[in-house]
Amino acid sequence: MGRLSLRQIPYQNPILVGTFVFALILGAAIVGLVTYHKRWGVLWREWLTTVDHKKIGVMYCLIGLVMLFRGFIDALMIRTQQAIAVGPHSPGYLGALHGYLTPFHAGQIFTAHGLIMVVFAATPLLVGLMNIIVPLQIGARDMAYPYLNALGLWLTAAGAALVMVSLFIGNFAHGGWYGFVPYFELPYSPGVGVDYWLWAFQLSVLGTTLGSINLIATIVKMRAPGMTWMRMPIFTWASLSANLIALTTFPVLMVCLALLASDRYFGTHFYTAGMGGNLMLYNDLFWVWGHPEVYFLILPAFGMMSEIVPTFSEKTLFGYATMVIASFAIGGVSWGVWLHHFFTMAAAPSVNSFYSVTTMLVGIPTGVKVFNWIFTMYRGRVRFELPMMWAVLSLFLLLVGGLTGMMNAFATNDYMWHNGVFVVAHFHLMVLLIAASIFGSVEYWFPKVFGFKLEARWGKAFFWCIVLGTGWVFIPMFLLGFAGMTRRLDYIPYTQWGPYLRVMLVGMGFYILAVAFFFMHLYVSLRDRAKNRVGADAWGTSRSLEWMTHSPVPAYNFAFVPQVHARDEWAWRKEQGVADLKSGPYRDIHMPGNTGVPFVLGALALALAFALTWRIWWLSGLALALCVAVVIVRAFAEDTDTVISAQDVERAERRYHDGEVVPMEEPMGRPTPRPAT
Amino acid sequence: MSASHHDPLSHPEVQLASGRGYVANFLVTTLLMGFGLWLSVTHAVAPLTLVAVTSGIAAVAVGVQAYLLLHMNLSEAQIWHTVAMILFLPLFVVTIGLTAWMFHGLYARTMIMSPHIGAFLHR
Repeated sequence: MGRLSLRQIPYQNPILVGTFVFALILGAAIVGLVTYHKRWGVLWREWLTTVDHKKIGVMYCLIGLVMLFRGFIDALMIRTQQAIAVGPHSPGYLGALHGYLTPFHAGQIFTAHGLIMVVFAATPLLVGLMNIIVPLQIGARDMAYPYLNALGLWLTAAGAALVMVSLFIGNFAHGGWYGFVPYFELPYSPGVGVDYWLWAFQLSVLGTTLGSINLIATIVKMRAPGMTWMRMPIFTWASLSANLIALTTFPVLMVCLALLASDRYFGTHFYTAGMGGNLMLYNDLFWVWGHPEVYFLILPAFGMMSEIVPTFSEKTLFGYATMVIASFAIGGVSWGVWLHHFFTMAAAPSVNSFYSVTTMLVGIPTGVKVFNWIFTMYRGRVRFELPMMWAVLSLFLLLVGGLTGMMNAFATNDYMWHNGVFVVAHFHLMVLLIAASIFGSVEYWFPKVFGFKLEARWGKAFFWCIVLGTGWVFIPMFLLGFAGMTRRLDYIPYTQWGPYLRVMLVGMGFYILAVAFFFMHLYVSLRDRAKNRVGADAWGTSRSLEWMTHSPVPAYNFAFVPQVHARDEWAWRKEQGVADLKSGPYRDIHMPGNTGVPFVLGALALALAFALTWRIWWLSGLALALCVAVVIVRAFAEDTDTVISAQDVERAERRYHDGEVVPMEEPMGRPTPRPAT
Repeated sequence: MSASHHDPLSHPEVQLASGRGYVANFLVTTLLMGFGLWLSVTHAVAPLTLVAVTSGIAAVAVGVQAYLLLHMNLSEAQIWHTVAMILFLPLFVVTIGLTAWMFHGLYARTMIMSPHIGAFLHR
């Protein structure tokens, strides 16, 4: 069994045992509920084997939400540890000298927090939303490669699962989410933690790369007739720019991690300190991906704000063309700024100056976007419904996060506060901006996907708790940054920092309330869904193509592929009074067929990654061989599509027209009759 | 759906498939990469020459794959491959160029060993 043995189960750690019991109860409850309601068949046929872009998007978002919760618990532990472990006289619990986390455990928590929030929470949430919305916005029936789409989902799920497994079997990396060499080399980190980190990371890289290929191909090739480039909705433009970044940079990370894996598994010396290795090459390669990655995250968020702001200002978006250019300018500059993550590595002054300037350049297109949003609101009929509240919060966070980013862009400043919590506070505001846009667009597009709006009372409580929590946590963190506090401390040597750290706990209290309110928000919305049913145009003032079709969206998206006449097609149709026109008789609709292969491949990839982590060679070989075999068998599959007959389409359309609720998981379509050969 | 849907063999990219081309591509690229590996493992040439030679070999391998495996040309079915390749080139130059520029100054300022000295000590 390689390095795996019963001694690797951390049963002596009460925190992990408690987590395990919680996970066990939650898992048992889910299994029990699915069994009680006899939903296993539906779960397998309509969800786990689906290639429908909407359902895949929903599952991406669920993974993201679960991991967001896990990452939040990690954050809570970091904050409480730092508030307790201040000064030499601070108490110690659970075997720790100060606080309640040993340095080894604290290291695992901040590493997991970083990796989870960036690649297993924000990324799946954004990819999920792009998956759902982009094909609808361009009038497509599905993604260009539906099967690949499902494969990307299950590889991401496998990566997330591997991080979760590391809680209960063995341990996780404890040196920070982006890794250090030679510290992450085998002689200095001999445990399985780094291997867990390595393979979970690789799985998500693979999943996201496949997803980016799919979204680019979809946007380039699958647009409805009449949708020229400059008629494309702005969220689709943002997605295109983001995925171009993903496609060009994620492979660099894959190589970067593969070289580290080669060092750890084959004894090569790409990143060693001697023997011809180059330990600074790791930083370079990692951040060649790492900085474009943050623009990969923020561009879709900007796209979401650009959809929400016009809808709730009842105006067309100000400066559409400049918005498109700004998205691509941000994407373009993103390839030339990565060195600002290691200004202090002793590059020549000319090199540091170059990267300072390119980093500041990002402020220009971002500023254009900010002014475009403001001018969109200017003299509009602004309605502060939940999506708009989140969009405005994003705007505020962008201002504070962006201006502190400008301060970080000076290499000279970086010599003062490199690896300090000022930088940490800066990038947390930026990712909170992304999170706020995500929550806003979940509120915004939820009725499109599920057919009912989320209620507003708990939602507003959730919103304000996030606002208050953010202020109470991050304003003290900026101050501590000025005081010179460095990041990732498990023990605080200066007692004068204590008060600030305890004030941050107030903010964590607000965040805990926010999580509770969020669950209430979902529960109440689900309970009262009959009251909040909506038609196609849920907000009444929306402008783009996705609001033309029914809510919830039928499996075939559009009964007729729409002909596009204007930039804001739906707004154009409403103004021309042709919103209700239908064209011609219904026709058969050809759709991709469901398949369990991506799910099986995801499970095999998880087995492979787990076996590699524990060096169980026979299992790695077996899982890899099975992966190859499954791919080959799938290549010979003939039955890969279905047809939804004209009668079925007509029946479904009539039910929608009569205001009936058509559940999302209702099966549609039948296998294609094969032409005689 | 278009007629080509029901006959996958009539897809232009399927028409371009060629077993002989794939095997030739596999053999040529394996040989090229094997040669590069042999050069670096045996330290057959001076370090800086090695960097130049392996880069040259990599460029040839890319060219062979672009021609034999990806069938890049300007036809309607294949032009996206070609455009993607051309768009990727400036990015490649920027990434490698900026990295090289950074390391050029770094060797003089840090205790990190330049490939030249490293290989010298290793020998």
